[in-house]
Amino acid sequence: MGTDIFIHPAAGFLILALLVPFVPTSLWKNKALRGALAIIPPLVAIYSIFSVEPGLYGNLHYLDQTLTFGRVDKLSVVFGQVFAIISFIGCIYGMHVEDRGHYVCASLYVAGGFGCVFAGDLLTVFLFWELMSIGSTFLIWQARTKESVHAGFRYFLYHTVGGLFLLAGLLLKYKATGGFAFEGVNPGGAHLYDWLILTGFCVNAAVVPLHAWLPDAYPRASVAGAVYMCAFTTKTAVYVLCRGFAGWEILAIAGTAMAIYGVLFACIENNSRRILSYHIVSQVGYMVAGIGIGTAMTINGAVAHAYAHILYKGLLFMGTGAILYSVGTAKLDELGGLATKLPWVMVWYMVAALSISGMPLFNGFISKTMTIAGAAEHHRTFLALGMEIAAVGTFISVGIKLPYFAFWGRKKEFTGEVKPLPVNMYVGMAICGLLCIAQGVYPDMLYRYLPMEVEHAFVPWTMDKVINSGLLLGFSGLAFYLTRYIITPHKALNLDFDWFYRLIGKVTMKVFCWPSAKVDDIWTEVYRTVGLRALIGMGDGTSWFDKKGIDTVVDGSAYTVRNLGRLGAKVQTANLQDYLALAAVLGLGIFALVWYFG
Amino acid sequence: MSQKGLGDILAKWRDNWKTWRTIFFVTLGVLLLLNVPFVTHHPHFGLDKYPGFFAGFGLVVGLAMVIIMKKIVQPFIARKEDYYGD
Repeated sequence: MGTDIFIHPAAGFLILALLVPFVPTSLWKNKALRGALAIIPPLVAIYSIFSVEPGLYGNLHYLDQTLTFGRVDKLSVVFGQVFAIISFIGCIYGMHVEDRGHYVCASLYVAGGFGCVFAGDLLTVFLFWELMSIGSTFLIWQARTKESVHAGFRYFLYHTVGGLFLLAGLLLKYKATGGFAFEGVNPGGAHLYDWLILTGFCVNAAVVPLHAWLPDAYPRASVAGAVYMCAFTTKTAVYVLCRGFAGWEILAIAGTAMAIYGVLFACIENNSRRILSYHIVSQVGYMVAGIGIGTAMTINGAVAHAYAHILYKGLLFMGTGAILYSVGTAKLDELGGLATKLPWVMVWYMVAALSISGMPLFNGFISKTMTIAGAAEHHRTFLALGMEIAAVGTFISVGIKLPYFAFWGRKKEFTGEVKPLPVNMYVGMAICGLLCIAQGVYPDMLYRYLPMEVEHAFVPWTMDKVINSGLLLGFSGLAFYLTRYIITPHKALNLDFDWFYRLIGKVTMKVFCWPSAKVDDIWTEVYRTVGLRALIGMGDGTSWFDKKGIDTVVDGSAYTVRNLGRLGAKVQTANLQDYLALAAVLGLGIFALVWYFG
Repeated sequence: MSQKGLGDILAKWRDNWKTWRTIFFVTLGVLLLLNVPFVTHHPHFGLDKYPGFFAGFGLVVGLAMVIIMKKIVQPFIARKEDYYGD
């Protein structure tokens, strides 16, 4: 079913984001109508990606540059495909949400992800990169809690810094090469601008030690929003790394370090959504390592793992989100015994947990083993061993600890109110879970879309691989059993690299605030002693003049000024979120004007 | 299956946890035995040419990870939940 036109998957989402605010409230309140409207863009995206032929589509001339919006090849299609599928599932899972903001933010965010994946040049990547950053920040604020507001600001600040690295790299590259070509960079001939671009990408890929924004922000995102968050930001970064920086040794090492670092922190964490966040760092580590090693097999492994990961991580966040929605907390020390109260949530959560652990029959088994085997075959024994260590930690934390203390939990039982879940949440989880199993049982469903040609196709389903995986996971389970009293989670905040980020923030604030506060102090003093007296004197004089002559003339304009002032005051809500939204709208407006008249 | 139906089954399973524990141990034993004829085809780590390598690896790494992180590392980096005031 090939076609010569390419309906950009982002288009539907952008239109939805524009439409949602104008849907009449009476129609919007109707869940079926709302859901039907929201599901159109994912369906269009799925159709578009499955029907498009490889090629270059949608060139746009802007500021004397040619922006390419549709680079369609094997690599972009496989990422686009899984993005479309998870946006479809996320849409179903979040259909009960009435808040229009959720739909607008999620749509902008998803559109940003698609935009980056199909972008043919770095300038287009940058535009959509920033759209993602804004969309995801607002998605965190959709949780509408005090801590989500703070976390959202930190997240935005951090991604702005990352975006600036990317921008600096872009501009230097433009100066040096005269263009924004987005092609693979040979690590041997890398320039400063390549390193800057790489740093920008690594912020979004949550490469340790640039990762701490992730476990800070994701656990605080809204229940429905987190499903999108865990799929798009890091995996878009994996895509751009794969496109631009395959074979960079530093990524191979950083990726393996991420894989281990994430599981170590997850091991001691209490908040279930933060455990999962650390496991994003860890799982993305496998992908980054695969890209860094850079053989056909490890790159295929990285892509396959990204695909599988988006599905099972989405499902994990859906499961823990369901717990949060239903009982109001996701902290393990407050949970227990939920298996009998939310049995289907437990079932779908376990499907995802076994998938991420790489258990045979589930999709992690066919993707994770490919990356590890690829590393080992390339004689990167220590990297492969590091990834095996991470696999053990993954099963202990996500496969056993989290479900054990949430759903079973010895004699402790959650006794508070258990709110029933909307049916659409179950439907979303079921679709995702069935896909995880289908890919695990029938790997070709995923393998056929992988971008690289390999000499010897990887076969996961061999007797020795199944038994080895079974032994690794089974005996990790035994380790949990033996240490079950030690690993019991407690309320605590574990310091991570964000301690340093906050320190940098505090010092910066001091550097800027201290001199301006001093100047302000001195000025206030001068004003009080000199200015005020002079003003009072002048005031007396003008008041006489005013009373005698001006009153009648000026009153009219005073009203006008007052009204203008009121309008100004309305825009200045002193709410930084509003300013950010306004800036985004203004930015889009300016973009459109420049494009139209430029 | 309904929520309650499945919930009841799971409640029963929970009461029979000892049986499940036995099944778990037996499965581990069977896997170990099966590892003797079906040992790794292309060993990469040296020791993985011997049966039981991945069992030992999983157990040792798992034990070390939990004990080191919970007993040694966490006491240094754990703070009160409201440490940052947010």
